[in-house]
Amino acid sequence: MNKITVYGEDIKIENKGEIEVSIGEASKFLNVQSVKIKVLEDTDIVIDVSEVDIKLDFYINILKGVRVNIYEYKHDGEYKFQYKYYLEEDSYLNSQKINDGKKIKEMTVINLNGENAKAYFNLKTISKYDEKYNFLVYHNAKNTVSNIINNGVNILDGILEFNVSGFVSNGITGCDINQSARIINMTKNNCIIKPNLFIDENDVVANHSALIGTFLPDEIFYLMSRGISRKESENLLTKGFLLRGITYYKETLEEIINKYWR
Amino acid sequence: MNILNIDNLTVEVEGKIILKDFSLEIKSGEIHAIMGPNGTGKSTLTKVIMGDDNYKIVKGTISYNGKVINDMPVNERAKLGIFLGMQMPMAIEGVTNADFLRSALRAKEGDNFKLLSFIRDVDKLTKKLHMDSEMIHRGINDGFSGGERKKNEILQMNILKPDVVLLDEIDSGLDVDSLKLVGESVMDYYKERKPAILLVTHYQRLLDYIKPDFIHIMKDGRIVLSGDKKLASKIEEEGYDKIVGMSDE
Repeated sequence: MNKITVYGEDIKIENKGEIEVSIGEASKFLNVQSVKIKVLEDTDIVIDVSEVDIKLDFYINILKGVRVNIYEYKHDGEYKFQYKYYLEEDSYLNSQKINDGKKIKEMTVINLNGENAKAYFNLKTISKYDEKYNFLVYHNAKNTVSNIINNGVNILDGILEFNVSGFVSNGITGCDINQSARIINMTKNNCIIKPNLFIDENDVVANHSALIGTFLPDEIFYLMSRGISRKESENLLTKGFLLRGITYYKETLEEIINKYWR
Repeated sequence: MNILNIDNLTVEVEGKIILKDFSLEIKSGEIHAIMGPNGTGKSTLTKVIMGDDNYKIVKGTISYNGKVINDMPVNERAKLGIFLGMQMPMAIEGVTNADFLRSALRAKEGDNFKLLSFIRDVDKLTKKLHMDSEMIHRGINDGFSGGERKKNEILQMNILKPDVVLLDEIDSGLDVDSLKLVGESVMDYYKERKPAILLVTHYQRLLDYIKPDFIHIMKDGRIVLSGDKKLASKIEEEGYDKIVGMSDE
């Protein structure tokens, strides 16, 4: 397991040899720091981010045939991050991301450059302030697969936005492109999901779903009819909603949920 | 002795009156069966007693042991000992039966909650009800058949040990064997704890297993005829129209 810890302006790397990491000079003018990661062998990477007060750009290159799981936990801060992924032939990316920050703006660009490259994304967030996530997914090679799942619960003063755009050009056949976004909005604030599929090819499987709403009143009634309070019912439903698909930071996410629905 | 009293209750949903001046009293150890044609307000009655806020009480009272509970939150009613076994229990993906039941039992028992006896009870009940033992780790009713959902309701009843049991068409979706199993499990629970039971059903067949003391026929939101078990047989033979007439609706 490799670990990258970002705290304040410090970036610490625990490298087991399966990755190459280089940290770029911080740009004083733009206040942007960059981290370049080359994944050489099958591995897991944990990224723990807290109280960072600079903008951060991640460049992650996954080499041919390599499988990588990236588990990221962002907390206690305001973040403007950019991620650029480059996936070579037969490579595999599984990204699980948990956000419990304040204001968050993220731009994620996924380049599926090699045939049969596969990218699976699972983002879970509890939004309390402004959070905006943009995804651009480019299927640049044949038989590539993307599955982008964004789930958020919007509470307190939260405003949450997911924008996901997938691109398949003419001639890039056999791709499988999936987007699923759901926001449980517990506030009166507006939340937005913009799912876009830009496809100029017939031989493609494409799915997208987008849903903004609250928990179903019948679900709450069912749980409460067994003696569970409304708050505890919301806690259970939030866990059911957000914990799906999360493995590494599961207990951390449970603790975060307990913090807001105690 | 626990007493659930419904007095002169009128209930509307989306501007339409469903229950009209409905009155009924159920005591510990009594089994009441409510029968009647579709749309007469039988399910509404059970949901209103449980506190579903989709239904508005226009007038009348629901009281439990002398205390009016019209405005009491759903979970507080459950903690008083009222349980509703639903006609179509919700499936909730992601929330496991184990987490759900643990939370429910913790809400009821507080610090007296014992995890080990909970696990033992669930294990015993899944065997008794012929349920897959792994169901406890699955989402609530997630992927369950109609019959499995009903069995899950009976399992929950046995875990939570309520004093007032409302069963809304617990027989629907059950095959012959499951009907017998569920019916006998309800009677086992009745013999053990002597709760007050209010049973909503369309068919006499459930009453082969759960023996009611009283049968009430509902029409147009109120009880129009009461009797003993013979009344259910008569309904089965002759139909509602002949016995209580056509609905006013």
